[in-house]
Amino acid sequence: MSDTKPYLDRWTGLALLLPMAALLAVFFVLPLARTIWQSVYEYGFTLRAYEMLLTSTLFWKVLQTTFAISFTATIVALLAGYPVALHLSRLPPSRRMPYLVMVMLPFWTSILVKSFALIVLLGYDGIINNALSFISGQDIHIPMVFNRVGAILGMTNYLLPFMILSILSSLLTQDVNLGRAAEVMGASRFTIFRRITLPLSMPGVLAGVLISFTLSIGMYITPALLGGRQDMMMANLIDFYTRQTLDWPLASAIAVVLLFVSGVLVAMLGKVRGSAGMREMSR
Amino acid sequence: MSFSRRSNRLVPGIAWVTYLFLLVPSLIVIPISFGGPGEMTFPPRVWTLDLYRQFFADPAWWGSLIQSLQIAVLVTLVTIILGVPAAYALQRTNLPGGKILGGLAMGPLLVPVVVLALGLYLQLGPIGLVDSTWTVVLAHSMLALPFVMVSVGAALRHLDPSYEQVALIMGAGKTRIFFKVVLPQLRAGIAAGALFAFLISLDEVIVAYFITGTDTQTLPVKMYSALRWEVSPVIAAVSTILTVVSLTFAIGLMWLERKDRHD
Repeated sequence: MSDTKPYLDRWTGLALLLPMAALLAVFFVLPLARTIWQSVYEYGFTLRAYEMLLTSTLFWKVLQTTFAISFTATIVALLAGYPVALHLSRLPPSRRMPYLVMVMLPFWTSILVKSFALIVLLGYDGIINNALSFISGQDIHIPMVFNRVGAILGMTNYLLPFMILSILSSLLTQDVNLGRAAEVMGASRFTIFRRITLPLSMPGVLAGVLISFTLSIGMYITPALLGGRQDMMMANLIDFYTRQTLDWPLASAIAVVLLFVSGVLVAMLGKVRGSAGMREMSR
Repeated sequence: MSFSRRSNRLVPGIAWVTYLFLLVPSLIVIPISFGGPGEMTFPPRVWTLDLYRQFFADPAWWGSLIQSLQIAVLVTLVTIILGVPAAYALQRTNLPGGKILGGLAMGPLLVPVVVLALGLYLQLGPIGLVDSTWTVVLAHSMLALPFVMVSVGAALRHLDPSYEQVALIMGAGKTRIFFKVVLPQLRAGIAAGALFAFLISLDEVIVAYFITGTDTQTLPVKMYSALRWEVSPVIAAVSTILTVVSLTFAIGLMWLERKDRHD
């Protein structure tokens, strides 16, 4: 197919591409450039914003919180997601559909709807605390939301579809004969899992972890609504400096740091997965 | 053998805990939305439509729903009108820089949305373009573009270029070939891209939160502001409306994907 002459001539091609290129230039490239520019320019070139970040205890605390919450949510998503991926991979394809729908449901639900639902479920007088009180006959109010637990649960719920699909894709590419051979040779199911299934699924695990971590560090809504005051993440700090203190250079410098970290993670993901990781994210 | 059977139940057992964790937060808003206006309980003590009445009695709520639907429709049109010809051109030419442009169109997927939101705010604020419906439409179109490019690109790869060659030899003009030969074969891909674009715009909060004002507030922005102050039961009705729309579209997408596989 590639050896046939290009069907469209250069000018037609350019004309068809131009409107999209214009949209990307004005609404994607320019805003990104503007953010980087704003982080080093106030009445002339300056590194004030970056110097302030280096010495700001708030920024370091938020950076630490961002990494701690993202890391925990990613690990929880991995531990909760792996059994689901395993379960899905063992189902015959014809029976997989309804389970896949359950996995994809949170992907299609608005993050605000899920946050609201988790507040109602996990709140002080929430459904779970009420149910526990009813069962035990005591007044139970376990704090599960507006704190770090809430932020992590909310984020895990958001990350799970990405994690599960990523692991599932590497479980499904495994040759079933490997497991069969091991079984014939007398290996127990657990040994098969530990020696064959798990090691062969590591690329999917790694890709899932990288995708989840990348998505986590940029999260804005979940920490704002489900976390406590102490659980401000980088995206919330950007908003804080943009709207509350109107320090645009500082907000931009944080955005540049966030952009850099997620850029490194995306590059690592590209190494792990080639273009497969991208396809995952776009589904 | 006994171990084998036990582990057979162990995996689905743990998996079901996760399935429930995935399912419940997305669906529990539906029964709660039919409860009374004073309480949020499950199951509701009384079944009423009070929360929906409350929603439709308040122009700030239903006005923002109309605004969101309007924006989502426009975003769908813009991304399809810009994305389909661009994806086609990328597939049928070897322009220098075409690959870079194709990669750039995927860019919005890879950049944290809050960074884009800040950039748009900084870029458009000083020249007075924030708080305008069209600004939100174009910003959302940028976010939805990668999804349309992927859906349409996938459909294009299945397209046999010899149909176009034959039509060309038979004397059809290129515009005519695009509309009569190419577009009809891309129907499923375009429909999938359109559904994606609509949903992404309808659910998008962060960019809209940064660049809308009181006049252009979308439903998710209104909802986010409401949730930050108090958890009012009327949000259960809003959530149900959003969820029902999202699910309808998601089912549509899955149906398209299935149909595509069988064709």
